[in-house]
Amino acid sequence: MKRLIRAALCSALILGLPAALEAKPWWLRGAQSNEGDFLPPDVAFRVGSRIDGNVVRVQWGIADGYYLYRDKMKIEAESPDLTVGPPSFPKGTMKNDPNLGLQEIFTQQIEGAVAFNRSDYGAHPVQIRVTYQGCAEAGLCYPPITKVLFPGSATPLPHHQALTYPWEGDAIIAGGLAFLLAGLTLRKGRRLETPMS
Amino acid sequence: MNERALRVAGLGLVAAAAGWAAFRMAAGPAVPYGDGQPVGRPAHLGLAAGGGSASTDVDPAQPLPKIPDRLPSFTLGDRAGNPTSIDTWRDKSLIINFWATWCAPCRREIPMLQSLNGEWSGRDVQVVGIAVDHRPDVVTYADKLKIGYPVLIGEQDALTVAGELGFASPVFPFTVFTDRRGDVVTLFVGELHRAQADLILSVVQELNDNRLPLAQARRNIADGLHGLAPRGSG
Repeated sequence: MKRLIRAALCSALILGLPAALEAKPWWLRGAQSNEGDFLPPDVAFRVGSRIDGNVVRVQWGIADGYYLYRDKMKIEAESPDLTVGPPSFPKGTMKNDPNLGLQEIFTQQIEGAVAFNRSDYGAHPVQIRVTYQGCAEAGLCYPPITKVLFPGSATPLPHHQALTYPWEGDAIIAGGLAFLLAGLTLRKGRRLETPMS
Repeated sequence: MNERALRVAGLGLVAAAAGWAAFRMAAGPAVPYGDGQPVGRPAHLGLAAGGGSASTDVDPAQPLPKIPDRLPSFTLGDRAGNPTSIDTWRDKSLIINFWATWCAPCRREIPMLQSLNGEWSGRDVQVVGIAVDHRPDVVTYADKLKIGYPVLIGEQDALTVAGELGFASPVFPFTVFTDRRGDVVTLFVGELHRAQADLILSVVQELNDNRLPLAQARRNIADGLHGLAPRGSG
């Protein structure tokens, strides 16, 4: 039983390593600073987009304890000969900030949509430009972020995950190693059992 | 393969799955659909109303930013637009607070910084605000609040200063504490509260009185901050 526990711990440790590295904010590594636990902006606010008929849908995934300001969110045309309508967003939550007044904010996951029209007969890929700005409840704000996105087709695109999670490849290898190590740990000192033996 | 080996294999898989789930949770919420192509342009930091910009993406191939040991020399415009060097306050311990008008926690800190400046000015401690924002917005806000400490203002130039302090893509607020020799003692990220400021300043005073080496001072600050209550929400 002890061996089983040891193997499980090994697996969890190896697999947890990339996440533990990622958890430390990049700006604190190797520097004298407070041990705050704020996320890098692209981890706090994840964004993806897709084309759905004549609409581009943009979705933001917002980490727990973080929020985006509704009035700072923009979805605009980027590629040539593309026009987009005004973006629509769901109703957010009202946050009463003594310094900024009543602000509409988004938490968790939200989707914005814009109708688009292209006059280039498909000569260019559809590119949109999104802008968003948010803060952490614990007392930190990120400057406005602008990104150019290439919305994909309506079906989810699995290879996007590799872009969103740069540690994914490492995690898969770590998982394999964890499994191998667990096996080696448990086999140590035991003879191979074969039908002949 | 006997029954025990199968059990072990099963347990390994469960452990791997648990680790994987933990990793995905730590990595933040997933966006269920994505872009068809790699994002062809790095993200940009723009000031509040689309002003100056600087790259925000962290290239994993680049070395991680390093906070310098010594405060770099820099010059930015003050509220009247006069170029002002940070060396103006040479031989003082500095509390350099980077902020912006659109940032709620930055605004919350200002009254506390005003108090600190008043209470510590007799002990050669000087608060200097650095607003990374549009000048008219900063001047209006600073006048409205009657900010009594010097405020330097910049856009791209202030971002450059932030970059020299290890923050190529800054978040706000952040506050740099130096001793009177110009050594960077600590850099505090996020909203600073009075108890934290008092703790850091007491250690800076010990440094100034040559009662502590710098490395020990930094350790004391880290330990002291760790021991304080979690930061307030806001």
